[in-house]
Amino acid sequence: MMDFSQIIPALPALTDGMLLTLRLLGLSVVGGVVLGTLLALARLSDRRVLSGLAKFYVNYFRSIPLLLVISWFYLVVPLIYNWLTGSFEPVGAFTSCLVAFVMFEAAYYAEIVRAGIQAIPKGQVNAAYALGMGYGQAMRLIVLPQAFRKMTPLFLQQSIILFQDTSLVYAVGLLDFLNTARSKGDIVGLPHEFLIFAGAVYFVISFGATLLVKRLQKRFAV
Amino acid sequence: MTAMIQLSNVSKWYGDFQVLTDCTTQVAKGEVVVVCGPSGSGKSTLIKCVNALEPFQKGTILVDGVSVGDPKTDLPKLRSRVGMVFQHFELFPHLSITDNLTIAQMKVLGRSREEANDKGLKYLDRVGLKAHAAKFPGQLSGGQQQRVAIARALAMDPIAMLFDEPTSALDPEMINEVLDVMTGLAHEGMTMMCVTHEMGFARRVADRVIFMDRGHIVEDCAKEEFFGAPRGERAQQFLSKILQH
Repeated sequence: MMDFSQIIPALPALTDGMLLTLRLLGLSVVGGVVLGTLLALARLSDRRVLSGLAKFYVNYFRSIPLLLVISWFYLVVPLIYNWLTGSFEPVGAFTSCLVAFVMFEAAYYAEIVRAGIQAIPKGQVNAAYALGMGYGQAMRLIVLPQAFRKMTPLFLQQSIILFQDTSLVYAVGLLDFLNTARSKGDIVGLPHEFLIFAGAVYFVISFGATLLVKRLQKRFAV
Repeated sequence: MTAMIQLSNVSKWYGDFQVLTDCTTQVAKGEVVVVCGPSGSGKSTLIKCVNALEPFQKGTILVDGVSVGDPKTDLPKLRSRVGMVFQHFELFPHLSITDNLTIAQMKVLGRSREEANDKGLKYLDRVGLKAHAAKFPGQLSGGQQQRVAIARALAMDPIAMLFDEPTSALDPEMINEVLDVMTGLAHEGMTMMCVTHEMGFARRVADRVIFMDRGHIVEDCAKEEFFGAPRGERAQQFLSKILQH
């Protein structure tokens, strides 16, 4: 017989795990969108070297597994930190994972932003220029606000995928929601119950968010 | 009269294809010049060269004495002094009408919000749309949007206005409301260069008419002369076609 009662005493720990998952998700989305936007602008630049580098970056990170990036950054980030600051203070798995997620997701967000920018008619840029705006102002005030509006459903979709992918941090021992559920389940000897519960939680959150995105898409389509 | 806009031997290529050939003309201060010609003749390209929205490879363009093609020229600054109105209005759809009118005043000219608002609303009133200040572009008709676009350009206190087929995307019943605004501007002495097929407007308002064909300026003469007896065969053909309907 399944026994789900043992989940209740584990709820505080599971909540902490979910908070870590959400914190990692939120910071990764923000960092990923910012870096992704810069990459998209670089890719659309007239300067060949800049756009070539951005293209390489995007293609590279889209071609390797996320788990590899997480494991790799777990080893490399402390070294770089040490090299940059001369400090041997430990960086911590959370920071390493955050850097990995931001760098990895930026490649995906960059493609979304690029498509969004390209969907804005050239006439809008010309109008901004004709009013005396420079490239930066035209992008910041005219193109990107419109592009982001169009891209919001895609951003959310990508973020739902990211929400599930954060569970890969188990590889470096971070106690996110899934890893907490797993270890608690192992401790009390009820691994199945805890994993089923964790699955239900992921499903409710992800599917709920997907429904929300669908509604948003309908609204944005008008 | 001194030339506000001076084009000398302007040539432009898209790859091997030459779109503009040795275009030379000028617009004096306070003058209204209409540029017409069949589609593909390069008239829109020419007017976009004036504020460097299109680069050109040969010749010079001076706007108030500043060379447009000179790489040392501060293009944003130059453009901020020249108003431009587009065929498809190009209002910013994510901004309210008021914000459309004020954003460049504040971000480019550094005016305060109050000053920009006052100025923007003054010109919005002038084009007869003060009641629509809080709306968004999508809520206005094409003719109304184009009038807002004119007000947006005027709010920058331009030394000259460029119109790139301002009425060709409009339904017929909306053309006149835009032409009326342009006529009013011309009578106030605004320096204007207008690419348009509206020959009635040219007849009433223009000082000079330029006729272009295949990237060349074929006719460049006073309005009376142009409508009286254009010399070239192409211009005659064009006029007879456009004046028939």
